[in-house]
Amino acid sequence: MVKPTLVTNSIRSLRFANGEMTQAELADRVGVTRQTIIAIEQGKYSPTLEMAFRIARVFRVPLDEAFQYSDEQG
Amino acid sequence: MAFLEKSNWVVLVVGVPTLLVYAVLVVPQVLGKPSAEVSWVQPMIFAIVGFVVANVLGNVVAAASNPSDADKNDERDSEIDHVGERVGNWLIIAGSTAALVLAMTGADHFWIANAIFLGGIAGALLSSITKIAAYHGSFQRW
Repeated sequence: MVKPTLVTNSIRSLRFANGEMTQAELADRVGVTRQTIIAIEQGKYSPTLEMAFRIARVFRVPLDEAFQYSDEQG
Repeated sequence: MAFLEKSNWVVLVVGVPTLLVYAVLVVPQVLGKPSAEVSWVQPMIFAIVGFVVANVLGNVVAAASNPSDADKNDERDSEIDHVGERVGNWLIIAGSTAALVLAMTGADHFWIANAIFLGGIAGALLSSITKIAAYHGSFQRW
């Protein structure tokens, strides 16, 4: 449950690049709560693949531009 | 705060005092006389009914405080809920198993009922603590 994730994301910079979109607005467009967007941005929660696609689609970018998988093994 | 997190805070805020009040009413009796003479049925019924009613009222208040969030439940909420329930169920199973063993060994009704009761309440509390910890810490499923 609390194992560290190697998945990072660029959601915060994508929000600012998209007219300073708020977390609440992104949450509404993805169909999740604002708390979930906050947790994803902070790396405290890895979204499902489907949610990750929905987030990338909001910003009209490929999945790997919104989410990255580090090669580092900690 | 997500509505489900509030709901789990309600379980803690209601459950801990319920358990304490029950303990205050019953434990001194257990220490002073045989278990067969302990008056435990009424306190247990009050504790169970009080726990359920207070939970319902607490959830109504939580929902009324922010109605737009009350019906919002996403994948993260569901995953946290499942993990918390799974953890809490271990204590419920432990309580039930203890009750089974007590019944098989001919223990007094008091001990059998209390094993089930404590397993249930402790399971609910552990489940809520697990969920609240997941909401505040890191929760990864990948």
